[in-house]
Amino acid sequence: MSRDALGFFRKVGERGYFMRDIGRAFSDPRTYGPEIVRQMRNIGVDSLPLAAIVAAFIGAVTAIQTRYQLFGGVQLSVVGLISRQSIILELGPLLTGLVLTGRVGARITAEIGTMRVTEQIDALETLAYDPVAYLVVPRLIAALVMLPVLTILADAIGVLTAMVTALVATDLTAADFTAGLRLSFTPFQIVYSVIKATIFGGAIAFFCSYEGYTANVGAEGVGRSTAQAVVVTSVAILVLDALTAVLLAPYLQA
Amino acid sequence: MKTRDDILVGLLITVAVVVTVVGSLWLARGGLSKGYPLYAKFPWGAGLKQGQPVLLVGVNVGYVDEVDLHMDGILVTTMRIGKNYNVPLTSKAAVIPNGIFGDMAVALTPSRPDPHSFKPGDTVPIGPSTPGITELTSKADSVMRSVNAITLALQQEMVASGGIRDLRNTIGATNHLVSEFASIAAEQSRQLSATMTSLRRATGAIDPVKVDSTVSNLRTASANMAAMSADLRATSGKLDVILAKVDSGNGTAAKLINDPGVYNDVRLLLQRMDSLVADIKKNPKRYINVSVF
Repeated sequence: MSRDALGFFRKVGERGYFMRDIGRAFSDPRTYGPEIVRQMRNIGVDSLPLAAIVAAFIGAVTAIQTRYQLFGGVQLSVVGLISRQSIILELGPLLTGLVLTGRVGARITAEIGTMRVTEQIDALETLAYDPVAYLVVPRLIAALVMLPVLTILADAIGVLTAMVTALVATDLTAADFTAGLRLSFTPFQIVYSVIKATIFGGAIAFFCSYEGYTANVGAEGVGRSTAQAVVVTSVAILVLDALTAVLLAPYLQA
Repeated sequence: MKTRDDILVGLLITVAVVVTVVGSLWLARGGLSKGYPLYAKFPWGAGLKQGQPVLLVGVNVGYVDEVDLHMDGILVTTMRIGKNYNVPLTSKAAVIPNGIFGDMAVALTPSRPDPHSFKPGDTVPIGPSTPGITELTSKADSVMRSVNAITLALQQEMVASGGIRDLRNTIGATNHLVSEFASIAAEQSRQLSATMTSLRRATGAIDPVKVDSTVSNLRTASANMAAMSADLRATSGKLDVILAKVDSGNGTAAKLINDPGVYNDVRLLLQRMDSLVADIKKNPKRYINVSVF
């Protein structure tokens, strides 16, 4: 077996051990419990403006692009349908996940990496604190909860912006847009978006925490780990997005 | 600080939950009010799905809430009608195409205005469905296939097999034939004109007095012929009477004709006369004795 393959399996194994450590840390709620709300604030509330801005622009662009791609004779309500499906099923969760990878994931890696290189994690272990329970689990729970919250709000903002844009900047009427918006809607589409966001939140917290937790010594090591965390998490989100679509798309068929 | 984080996080989560619930209800039902249910039983393959609009004479009054597949070939469709709309009792439900992407809608069409309306839970009878874009496309496809087949056959017959050349030759021959017909017709017309002229001239040469005289003579001859015909008819009647008498066997002539005994006697008499004449020729002295003195 080649060295690259061995290296790949080694990395997978290390992340497997890290996942096991997280699982064990869940049995210590007194350590991670008090930190959860603070991390929710950092990950969720503080990221809301960025997620909202991204969603708003995505909604506006989707509506305009859809309207001007329609050829003559197509009913205008298609704009509402395509905007809703694009934003709720794909763009809302995916772009929120990618944006939060840059904002939250990089922060998680930098925080934990800095603690690693400044030996604060070693100090926690010396004080009989489980560093995984104290540093990783609250961020993981916060990300698992707040990513869906942000995604739902991003979906709503995106759809509303698409509607406003379609009404203001194109020849659509509110009746046209809402007719398409309601066409073939099933609540599972929201659930699908939430499932994706939850998976992306877990990926952000897991991969970014791992990269920070295993950061090399020195400021350069933290920087390298942060960059690697963003890249790995972004790729992981795209792969997970595709897998989720393959697994759950049949249930979306109306 | 900790309390503020709790409030912000709680507020954000609450807003997200409210947005999810209200947004889903608004998208799925058009609002918090669900409307009252009406049912329709469409055949399989009607193309219905949840969320499609329900139109009452073209006005959106509700949506398709549920489509239940029954194995007896029926789709039991639950429609939710807005509470401020009444569906007249004479209405029929039909699946109609909604746009060109194959989407469908349920159209409720009353045959006439009716003050009575369906009650919640009633089943609306179905009417004839309009063919959707799929059916139309399929029809167009079949038409196009037929047109292609015809075009191919025409191409093979007309181009590959030299049909167009034959047709061109036929048209040329027809043109030649028509020109010949035209010349013949012109000749015939000329001759006919000449004949008419001669006839007109001959007609002008006839003397009307002679014609009148001839006609008068013909009329007289005709009267004479009529009289002669009457005489002949009378004669014929008399002959009929005579022949009837002859047939009846009365009278001399009838007996001469009808009685075989007379015939036999005459025949015997003729035989005897023959033998007498023969004997006279043979022995004339026996019968003729001439003495001068």
